[in-house]
Amino acid sequence: MRHRNGVQHTGDALIHLDHVSKVFAVRHEAQDSFQSSFIRLFRRENRRAKPLWAIRDVSFEVKRGDCFGVIGPNGSGKSTLLKLITRILEPTEGDIAVRGRIASLLELGAGFHPDLTGRENIYLNGSVYGMTRKQMQQRMHAIIDYAELGDFMDVPIRHYSSGMHVRLGFAVAIHTDPDILLVDEVLAVGDLAFQRKCLDSIQQFRSQGGTLLFVSHDSGTIEALCNRAIWLDHGRIRAEGAPLDVVMSYMNRVSEEAEEKGGSRAMAELEEGRRWGNGRVQVTQVEMVDKSGRSRSAFAGGESLDIRLSYEVMEEIDEPVFGIGIHHQNGVHVCGPNTQFDGLRIPGHRGRGQVVYHIQELPLLEGAYVMSVAAVDAGDGEVYDYHDRAYPLRVLSGRHRERYGIIALGGSWSAVTNEPDDDGPYTDPARLADPEIMSEAR
Amino acid sequence: MERSDLTARSHKAIRRRTSLVEHLVELYGRRELIFNLVVRELKARYKNSVLGFVWSLLNPLGMMLVFTFVFTVMMPNRQLRNFPIFFLCGFLPWQYFTSGVTSSMFSLINNSNLLKKVYFPREVLPTASVLAALVNFLLALLVLFGALLVTGTRLSPYIWLLPVVILIQTCFVLGVGFFISTLNVFYRDTAMIMDVALQAWFFLTPVFYPIEMLPASHQFLGLTWDIRRLMYILNPMASLTAAYRDLLYWGYRTNMDFFLRTAATSAIVLILGYLFFLRFSRRFGEEL
Repeated sequence: MRHRNGVQHTGDALIHLDHVSKVFAVRHEAQDSFQSSFIRLFRRENRRAKPLWAIRDVSFEVKRGDCFGVIGPNGSGKSTLLKLITRILEPTEGDIAVRGRIASLLELGAGFHPDLTGRENIYLNGSVYGMTRKQMQQRMHAIIDYAELGDFMDVPIRHYSSGMHVRLGFAVAIHTDPDILLVDEVLAVGDLAFQRKCLDSIQQFRSQGGTLLFVSHDSGTIEALCNRAIWLDHGRIRAEGAPLDVVMSYMNRVSEEAEEKGGSRAMAELEEGRRWGNGRVQVTQVEMVDKSGRSRSAFAGGESLDIRLSYEVMEEIDEPVFGIGIHHQNGVHVCGPNTQFDGLRIPGHRGRGQVVYHIQELPLLEGAYVMSVAAVDAGDGEVYDYHDRAYPLRVLSGRHRERYGIIALGGSWSAVTNEPDDDGPYTDPARLADPEIMSEAR
Repeated sequence: MERSDLTARSHKAIRRRTSLVEHLVELYGRRELIFNLVVRELKARYKNSVLGFVWSLLNPLGMMLVFTFVFTVMMPNRQLRNFPIFFLCGFLPWQYFTSGVTSSMFSLINNSNLLKKVYFPREVLPTASVLAALVNFLLALLVLFGALLVTGTRLSPYIWLLPVVILIQTCFVLGVGFFISTLNVFYRDTAMIMDVALQAWFFLTPVFYPIEMLPASHQFLGLTWDIRRLMYILNPMASLTAAYRDLLYWGYRTNMDFFLRTAATSAIVLILGYLFFLRFSRRFGEEL
């Protein structure tokens, strides 16, 4: 029913939630007044507002060194969960035990006072986090350096740009020696260069054994960074375990919901301008199916999948060619297989049919892709039906060992090493030490 | 929502409260935060002012000059010598009271962005507000002492009790501050009500009149009331004002039993206020 700090024997767990629920009483008016309370004394029926279970029976543990991901759509209770963990809110039910200092990167610069200088605010903010003045003094130099504020340190904060403001907030938060870092995926901290720096710091924090709680409504980073994850849906845990599985079931649920909401991918609903062609052949349904026959839109790299195109020939034609095109979200056209390349001949007489493109091992790397499908004439390329970039395909990194870029070539490395001989071919050690090359090779 | 959920909830609703001592230990651990917040409040108060802290001195000085003028030129008060001193002895503690209560009343809602984002013991905020008011009060007392020196008023041999009186008043202001700041989170009407209440309270407190002016026996509803005594019992500020005056103006030693009663009242107000605050502070995060 409450928070405990430091006293709990939860083994290695830094954060321990035991059947935690949080109920909000949703009122129409945010603010109560004496008048309305007074009136309610006489009209009892309105007394209890409808309870909203923002968090419902949630239990999990975050162990030291974990990177724990929480995924869920907006309104799924992610921020409530964070507020419970950081003791802003009290749970209605259940127990929360937190060991160690938490620094949250969601509230950068909270409590800065505009009339105080940067330096004074560092002390103030530090003491809000529970640091002593002496500790802050030791870190002062590092913080000032990190925030890149230079001469502005002794200027009142109200003269700061918003970028400087968050930079200082981040610098203080990261220098309070947290045991646990709460990170929101949308880490909007100043310019790109500083964002890079923040991510590096988080990476470094993690490599030094720090514990991370990572919240997101999107999946890629959770899968790439975390070693454990939960999927939160309407305040409940829907899935828990390895990030890949959790993220996958989340992504598929999201696309299912989108389909339920918008109807199936009914051709009529394809956006105007996304579809063209004379309609002599129509592609009536496009499905991406995993090996168990389930239709999904998120796949792990290396997984097998079938792309099924259902079509109907409306007017007798010669010979249709069906093709698909996959584009990376930033516009790169990745590939464009079609039935003609494979020498598959499809009769052009009226009626329905289906073509299937089977991919044994999806070679795409983690990222968001979109797929186009088309039916054209085999001879002159007359366009019957074209759905331009209409089908999203989300790829999670899955089994691929490769990173960087969009495709796994699946090649293998071997090395031929020379004896350390004077005459042997010489490799410049400086070249090997080049971090760029090293990181690519990794 | 569903019935079963609500019953399940009530079964589990056994609260294990953190003890008062644990809270106090936590609060003590955050003394540096309190200090920083006091500094912040003082600095913010005098932002963009040329004279800064000097205003804490100029304000009572000005008040004293005004009252000297009013009560020596416009309507001379012959019963009380050094009426401005008499007035300041009551007015400065009163000002400490109102500014402490008012600033702690707003301390929570004005810092809602902080409260909604970082955890720290919430009582830190009203405490810091009251302490900032205390600092101003102490500065203003300097002016009073200056005036005492100029007018040649003789101090009570019990003047060493003054810090104790200030401590007692601080307890009282803190206690009221805890109550009012909590109420103001849940009902913003509190601020409006306090506006009027403090004004009424001012006139009900013998700040610019001696308490001896009040009738010792007054017929009302067929009963005889000792208004003076009632005032001391019901209004701790009246007792505190009297204690300040005894030490600073009359040069008298305050009666011990009276003194202890005032101290006990303040302690009770503080403890009740603090418990009230702790009881409801767990809901600040969602109410603000």
